[in-house]
Amino acid sequence: MKWNSRTRCALICLGFVLLFSAFSFRLIYLQMIKHDQYAGLAAEKHVIKQPIFAERGTILDANNEVLAHNVPVETIVADASRLNEVDATVDLVSEELKLPRGEVSDKLHSDRRYIVLKREVAKANADSLRQKLRAKNLRGIYFEQDATRIYPNGLMLCHVIGFTDFDHRGIQGVEGSLDQYLRGQEGYRYIEHNRAGQEIVLYRGQERAPRNGYQVHLTVDLNLQNIVENEIDAAMGKYSPKKATIILMRPQTGEILAMANRPAFDLNQRSEAKPEQMKNRAICDMMEPGSTFKIVTAAAALNEHKFSLDSYIFCESGVWNYGGTPLHDHAAFKDLSVKDILVKSSNIGAAKLAVSLGDQKFYEYIRRFGFGERTGVELPGEIPGLIRSPNSWSKISITHIPMGHEIGVTPLQMATAMCAIANGGKLMTPRIVKSTTTSDGKTVSTLKPIVLRQVISPQTANQIGTALRGVVSDRGTAAAAAVPGFTIAGKTGTAQKVGPHGGYEKGKEVVSFCGYLPAENPQFVGLVVLDDAQTKPEQNYGGTVAGPIFSRIAEKAARYLDLEPHEEIRKAIPVERVALTNSSRH
Amino acid sequence: MSRSRRNWNEVNAASLARWIVLTGFLALAGLSYVYLNLQLYHLGDRKKALENEVANLKAQNEVASAQIAALTSRSALQRRLKEGYLKMIPIAEHNIVRLSVPARNQDDQVQPVSNQRVVK
Repeated sequence: MKWNSRTRCALICLGFVLLFSAFSFRLIYLQMIKHDQYAGLAAEKHVIKQPIFAERGTILDANNEVLAHNVPVETIVADASRLNEVDATVDLVSEELKLPRGEVSDKLHSDRRYIVLKREVAKANADSLRQKLRAKNLRGIYFEQDATRIYPNGLMLCHVIGFTDFDHRGIQGVEGSLDQYLRGQEGYRYIEHNRAGQEIVLYRGQERAPRNGYQVHLTVDLNLQNIVENEIDAAMGKYSPKKATIILMRPQTGEILAMANRPAFDLNQRSEAKPEQMKNRAICDMMEPGSTFKIVTAAAALNEHKFSLDSYIFCESGVWNYGGTPLHDHAAFKDLSVKDILVKSSNIGAAKLAVSLGDQKFYEYIRRFGFGERTGVELPGEIPGLIRSPNSWSKISITHIPMGHEIGVTPLQMATAMCAIANGGKLMTPRIVKSTTTSDGKTVSTLKPIVLRQVISPQTANQIGTALRGVVSDRGTAAAAAVPGFTIAGKTGTAQKVGPHGGYEKGKEVVSFCGYLPAENPQFVGLVVLDDAQTKPEQNYGGTVAGPIFSRIAEKAARYLDLEPHEEIRKAIPVERVALTNSSRH
Repeated sequence: MSRSRRNWNEVNAASLARWIVLTGFLALAGLSYVYLNLQLYHLGDRKKALENEVANLKAQNEVASAQIAALTSRSALQRRLKEGYLKMIPIAEHNIVRLSVPARNQDDQVQPVSNQRVVK
């Protein structure tokens, strides 16, 4: 077959048409159908999602004094594949970062592409290293922006503030419990970089700004905290107790004004702290409260109208056989009014008040005062304490629990119960956080006082308050807790220590004092607890050890809070803080 | 004269001018595009440099704030007080003159004022 020129021409044209059609189809396939896949592959090569770190929020006290904040630091890293002069780099880095030369050399002579040389390098040191690397034209060392947490007050309020871990996650104290507020939200930015790894700002992609962490304002007043810390240190020096706790609270709102524990640790050197130093004993430790618990017993009996404040109860002249077990008083009391049972701290009187209520009713009041459940304070690791239900009580439990034995309570629970007496019978949720704000000061949330329940009537609370004023008098067990110029209400506690294998340890006591000031219009409730204070056995009582500590704290706190001294007492001769006589201990 | 004039190709001056202007405009647009593109790169670099400068200043500011907080912290002041660098004398009760009852922050936030006091 012979093709003429026209046919040949048509065939060539057809060939071209087919060829270009194939190209066109391929182009459409690549550009439209496979667009996303190849665009993604291309982007992977050049576009990276760069995180923009959020700043962790600061923690402030009630007067906006800084308790925890951030300082920018840098992490020095190396890419061994990009080092141009390894030995010169090793010399410079080890000298500038004060690292052993051998360690740096081992790291840089590897073939790893991401080697952390040193973390938390101060900005000034990092700048110096950066300049020297640039001057010597050494490559392969990189600087990553980071921040570290600084606690300007070191040891003060350490258990409340807590600290963060390596990844800036809060793991203790407010740092832990409010981590989600403090942490903030990281932002990001899609960037393209050139072959040298530098960003091409022109091709900056989608961007989301970070949200910095919220500032947390605590209810703690650092001035009051300072008073408490100084006194707890003085007590540690004088009595060398195994542990000690002091709490100050505002009874009307449940705000914690100060909280200190010993042993403690420096927040800036937390890596050196031992586990027992890191424990917030105010919420994580339980103790037998001893006689301070008699406020619960008396309040229950008065609230149930079993007795009035002036009703007399026979106290068996110092020994009462109940359930086959003798119960002792520290003096041979005969007839005592309910008020004097608290003033003289009679165990037998308190036991008889509880017996009049019965197991179930008494247990109900213990629970109503918040014992046996977590208070709900915004601190991690709180324990509920240990309150057994009446069906597991022994025959004599009803006589031992009223004087604060056979139960375990946390110091914060005890202080909260005293707040209920001071504020007219309302059980408040203790609070450590006042509000959260943005970094520019806008309020995010304000925490209002939470009334859990009305535990006792205001009249009963008032009656107990009247009796507790007598405790801090020459007739009571805590004359040494008095503050010249003010009326104080309070209760002492002395409980034998429970040993690790059960039973009581002889000669080891937990002494405490819990009170409030001024008694007629309470501005703060204070609790002082010392575990195993080293003093003479005849002086190891709540009134003689914890009482004077409370007195000194209350006096300074009253001055700081500008509370006006009671006129009548101010005119009187200042009361010496006398040592107690044998008859007024407990 | 007329013969030679007939052999010449006449140039349409208006058309030529139009093309020259068009070409010039296109060249100018191209050059402007290149120039502006370069400017964008330079501005990007400048922006990055300024961002770094701001970040640096912010970091310096934070370091200074941290130093201020550390130096004015309660523990630092206590240390200074113990060292004798600061001297504080407690005010004795007899040196305090009370002109009025101190205003207390009550629950209802009501502050006593002189004209509301009841004189008994």
